[in-house]
Amino acid sequence: MHLQGEVYNLGYQRYDGPREGRSRARRAIFENGVRTVLGIGRGPRAKILPALLFLGAIIPALTFVIILSVAGPAADFLPGPADYYQVVSIILLLFGAISAPELLCPDRRDKVIHLYLVRPLTPTDYVVGRFLAFFVIVLALAYSGQVILQVGLVLSASDPWEYIRDNWADIPRFLGAGVLVALFITTVPLAAAAFTDRRAYAASFVIGLFIITTGMADALTSTEHCREAASGRDGSTRMVCEDGGEAVTGDAAKWFSLISIRDVPLRINDMIFDNETDAPSAKAAAELHDSISITWYALFTAGPMLLVWLRYRRIRE
Amino acid sequence: MARIVRRRHTNDPTVYLSGIHSIQKDARTGPQCTLVRPRSPLATTSRYTRTVAILLEAQDLTKHYGNTVALEAASFQIHEGVTGLLGPNGAGKSTTIKLFLGLIRPTSGSARVLGEEPYETIEGRTRLGYMPEYEALPSSVTASEFLMHMAQVSGLPPAQARTRAADTLRHVGLDEERYRHIGEYSTGMKQRVKLAQALVHDPILVLLDEPTAGLDPGGREEMLGLIRRTGREFGISMVLSTHLMGDIERTADRVIVLEDGRVAQEGAVTQFTQETEDLHIEVDDHRDEVIAALVKRGLTVKEQGVVIVVERAHEAVYDAIRDAVAEVDARLRRLAPHRHTLAELFQDRKTHAPAG
Repeated sequence: MHLQGEVYNLGYQRYDGPREGRSRARRAIFENGVRTVLGIGRGPRAKILPALLFLGAIIPALTFVIILSVAGPAADFLPGPADYYQVVSIILLLFGAISAPELLCPDRRDKVIHLYLVRPLTPTDYVVGRFLAFFVIVLALAYSGQVILQVGLVLSASDPWEYIRDNWADIPRFLGAGVLVALFITTVPLAAAAFTDRRAYAASFVIGLFIITTGMADALTSTEHCREAASGRDGSTRMVCEDGGEAVTGDAAKWFSLISIRDVPLRINDMIFDNETDAPSAKAAAELHDSISITWYALFTAGPMLLVWLRYRRIRE
Repeated sequence: MARIVRRRHTNDPTVYLSGIHSIQKDARTGPQCTLVRPRSPLATTSRYTRTVAILLEAQDLTKHYGNTVALEAASFQIHEGVTGLLGPNGAGKSTTIKLFLGLIRPTSGSARVLGEEPYETIEGRTRLGYMPEYEALPSSVTASEFLMHMAQVSGLPPAQARTRAADTLRHVGLDEERYRHIGEYSTGMKQRVKLAQALVHDPILVLLDEPTAGLDPGGREEMLGLIRRTGREFGISMVLSTHLMGDIERTADRVIVLEDGRVAQEGAVTQFTQETEDLHIEVDDHRDEVIAALVKRGLTVKEQGVVIVVERAHEAVYDAIRDAVAEVDARLRRLAPHRHTLAELFQDRKTHAPAG
């Protein structure tokens, strides 16, 4: 009898297995990005926030579906697919502002980025991997509520087939609008995170940016609690408000309302759904030509992406 | 030394040993163990065997930060084995390592790694390891998770990355603690994780920047042992930068001394210490006569307390000492070679260096 044995050194060994190089490295950055944002492989505390925000993004849909199932067609006052992204936009923005810095800031602060840069990876590979990871999660977050809502709407309809026949267009619309909303939520917070090592600063900056710009646009253009008053000899009118201020009206209001960054992707959503907005800050801007809204959106997505790329292009120095 | 370990979850009769690299079991003759020296990875990696004889090469390598000169026209080559980059803080050691890794660009000159420019060799970096001077570790993940990730970023598929992470952490002595978060680790354990991430993908060459920084004497000794073992047993070439000469003596085959951004000296560590070997003589009586007899034979003699030091000893000196001691009929208590430490050598060099 002849026994052939093999010896395995249980400590360090040489490695002769497959090496997949740069493509595996890119995938690893993407997968690690997803795990980081969701808190997988980290302590329980890292999982709480993403879980809460995920719940926040689907709870409105669940609530609407429950109301629909009880009230049936009488519940037509509820927001539908066209309004859903606006309903959850605050949650999505919060998620973006809080989670995006998690992907970029610690790597630079702890200098783990240097360990990446000496591996088969370029700075662009790293940034693209992180970007895609975050985009995919935000998209999943955006879609999850919409899917629940769609299923609820179909099942609560008196004739589900008829509902689908009449409203099938909502599906490609929410899918398309979801991509654009998620893209916007991904780029702005990542750009903020690329320029500070402190997560809290990046998150505060993004939240502040959205609150302040929306507040400014609202304050300037809202005509609530205002009344029309004759102005000057040319017979034009102006809006005088109860607080003694004056609301910006007419063409100027349309342009001022563009200031509200939060509404930038929502206007695209409204264009896709052919929807009329209720948000005071967005109302005036909705009257502007579509191309202006599209350009504005492109500026707010391509701009931050370019900033992130420029920041990381020279990260080696 | 060899420890027999049976692999769990398997029924195969294979015997697992640590420290022995090959075994053949024969029913008639019983098990036969053969110790096989691992071949150099350069010899097994055909891609590099053909093209690379020199692992690292600097040619007039210069790096300026504004008006500060970090490295000035440094030219040297680093071959297989363990090489030390020695110099005081600010001598340009970290700069040199970062230039070779492509983390910074040279002001002028070139740094080549495995025959390629570090900026361009994206795939070449699959066989490079780097242990930085600073912490460079995420605090909120476990060592196991971090190493698995780093192995994948170096190009290993997930299943292999998992095995490699476990094996490498065991190698650096973090087997038990590998599921703890890195943030909870001591400085010594963090240094080990840093070393492990540099080794997890089985590199050809590892660059270690101040690997013993911040360690207590025990931790330092363990880290040096680990580096020496990794370099010698597995044939992984290493370049370590340090300001501690003891680190170099314990680990390195060759040393490059940097001073103020320039290469001050380079050569084999043994060359530095052996060529300058002294002989220490102690006699019980006739001390002055012995010294006179040694001087008469043309030897350079120094007194260090009770010890008579004969400088720059070579083979013929032993006979001369024997004759001198016999001539004055002195009782010889001790005759021993004394190898200089690098510290003593550089101390001497500094003391005797011309002013300015």
